[in-house]
Amino acid sequence: MDIVLAAAADAFTWQALLAIVVGTWAGIIIGGLPGLGSVVGLTIFLPFTFGMDVITSMALLIGVYCGSVYGGSITAILINTPGTPQAAATTFDGYPMTQQGRVGEALGWATFASFFGGVLSCVMLIVGAPQLAKFAVNFGSIEVFALVCLAMLCIVGVSRGSTLKGILCGMMGFLFSMVGSDPITGADRFTFGQYALSSGLTLIPVVVGAFALSEIFVRFASRDDEAARIPEARLTFPGLRDIGRRMVELLRGSFIGGFIGALPGTGAAAAAFISYASAQKLSPRRQHLGKGEPDGLIASESSNNAVTGSSFIPTLALGIPGDVVTAMMMGAMVIHGITPGVRLMADQAQTVYALFVVLIIVNVAMLILSKPSIGLFRYLFKLPQGFVMGGIVMFSFIGAVSVRGNPLDLIVAAVTGLLAYVLRRGGYPLAPLVIGMVLGPELESSLRRGLLISRGDFSAFFTHSTIASVLFVLIALFIAGTLWSGFSQWRKDRAAAGTPAA
Amino acid sequence: MTSTLLHPRIVTAFALLLVGAGLSITAWQGPDDAMLVPRFVLTIWCATALMVLIGELIRRAPVAKAQRSPLPLLMAAVLIAAIATASLGFLIPALPLVALTLWLFRVRQPLWLVLGTLILGGGLWFLFHHVLLIRLPTLLASGLI
Repeated sequence: MDIVLAAAADAFTWQALLAIVVGTWAGIIIGGLPGLGSVVGLTIFLPFTFGMDVITSMALLIGVYCGSVYGGSITAILINTPGTPQAAATTFDGYPMTQQGRVGEALGWATFASFFGGVLSCVMLIVGAPQLAKFAVNFGSIEVFALVCLAMLCIVGVSRGSTLKGILCGMMGFLFSMVGSDPITGADRFTFGQYALSSGLTLIPVVVGAFALSEIFVRFASRDDEAARIPEARLTFPGLRDIGRRMVELLRGSFIGGFIGALPGTGAAAAAFISYASAQKLSPRRQHLGKGEPDGLIASESSNNAVTGSSFIPTLALGIPGDVVTAMMMGAMVIHGITPGVRLMADQAQTVYALFVVLIIVNVAMLILSKPSIGLFRYLFKLPQGFVMGGIVMFSFIGAVSVRGNPLDLIVAAVTGLLAYVLRRGGYPLAPLVIGMVLGPELESSLRRGLLISRGDFSAFFTHSTIASVLFVLIALFIAGTLWSGFSQWRKDRAAAGTPAA
Repeated sequence: MTSTLLHPRIVTAFALLLVGAGLSITAWQGPDDAMLVPRFVLTIWCATALMVLIGELIRRAPVAKAQRSPLPLLMAAVLIAAIATASLGFLIPALPLVALTLWLFRVRQPLWLVLGTLILGGGLWFLFHHVLLIRLPTLLASGLI
């Protein structure tokens, strides 16, 4: 108990609190700008931390990280353009709510779900980090393969009404992720002799192209249409009764995010899609998902923000960074004298607990700062549409090229933008493209590693462990359920077509 | 008949099938180990593209009347600016692209057009490249522009 109090005292210094406010606010703004996400935010703020003490510097960076994950939802809801890949699933229900004139409600639910997921994952981190780390170690390649297969099935759900087109876009995204060097053998794939393509295509340029640039083209095509105007951003927090009614969804999304974050190599975007897939099967209002249902927003936002806390579990407890962002955070920790790994809790327990306290304060700060941040976006989006679109073009270009500094990423963003516009006009849903690209690399590498472990015997996957077997049974049930509901719907439609109009 | 077949939805589905088939040939010619998953993915791609194409042919969506729009100009500008960045750096292609975007979105007053281009194009480039030190592609090796 003494150590927790000492850690809280470390976290509640004025320097740390100031760093949290500055970092979180900057993170929300950076996350809200298309193309700029956690990586760019951390890159901007990392050099400023060199002169700070450990807790203050980590408070600044954690603020930027958590703020940017939440900030991505603002533009996803307002203009159908996720600021970060983690917020791609937020567009499924967030933007339809905006089109229905429910902007305040959508932003309110996104903010509250982000806060709830973030705080719950901090509690999970404090209470169960060692246990969760031990359980996460049980997830080998085959279990991860089964989990990612289950998540991939959400492609069917997000492409309601055009399942075949959704699957096609999912495969396209999967194939995008395969361009470059093969992760196991190192052989070049789909590079067509171009050296620049050997490093592969990264997610951010594809998301920038698919959502931000294609949205500009769509808005340009309908620039005389009043319905295409950007609505005024406002925030209406849900009432206690509404929160109580959707508590199960909030808890489910947060636990899924908390658990996925603890698995190395998955990340917040994957967590959001997995959580959305589970909402499609388990939410009592699942028939409204994709049409502007807060449960979809809650699934996406609570899980992606829950990852921000739990992603520290493999980073701190095992010394394994889960993704690029946690790798950068780990680098910052090493710079400031914290050495993540199995000895960390024993050697620097006070510092670790101080980081946990900082995480909770960051989430509270995020809730408080959401209103002024959204106010800033309201001011920005009040500008004539030309300035907003010009700004989005610039931020998209900067965001696409800044992650790796590779001009190829800009060409990828532009080509994806053109392709996405054509696909949108043809009635193809774009979300599966991103789902395929997010989950594809993990699916492939876990399958290939699993095949190496089982000496090429795929049937061994089903009996490898209890966790894997349970996950494969869930996949079978999901497919059977989807086929059955499709068949029932077809029979209903047929019966309705056969009934003469009264 | 020809106009029905040239419907954008049919052309899109057909193009996707062709691309999938072309990539499949590349995948089947590549090494077995590395191309195991791509072959599987491309098989699903081609099968679904074929079914989508058949669906589009059966559905016979009404052909929309072609309208003149400057949208292809904006698309071409985005693509050209992206390609030019590799050789001209970030700033030089970004300025005309921002100016064109503003113009096409009806910011036509010269003062606002110039100010918007300078602030959004030049200002954001300066902020990220020189102030925040997020290095963007440059024309000169010194990194000045």
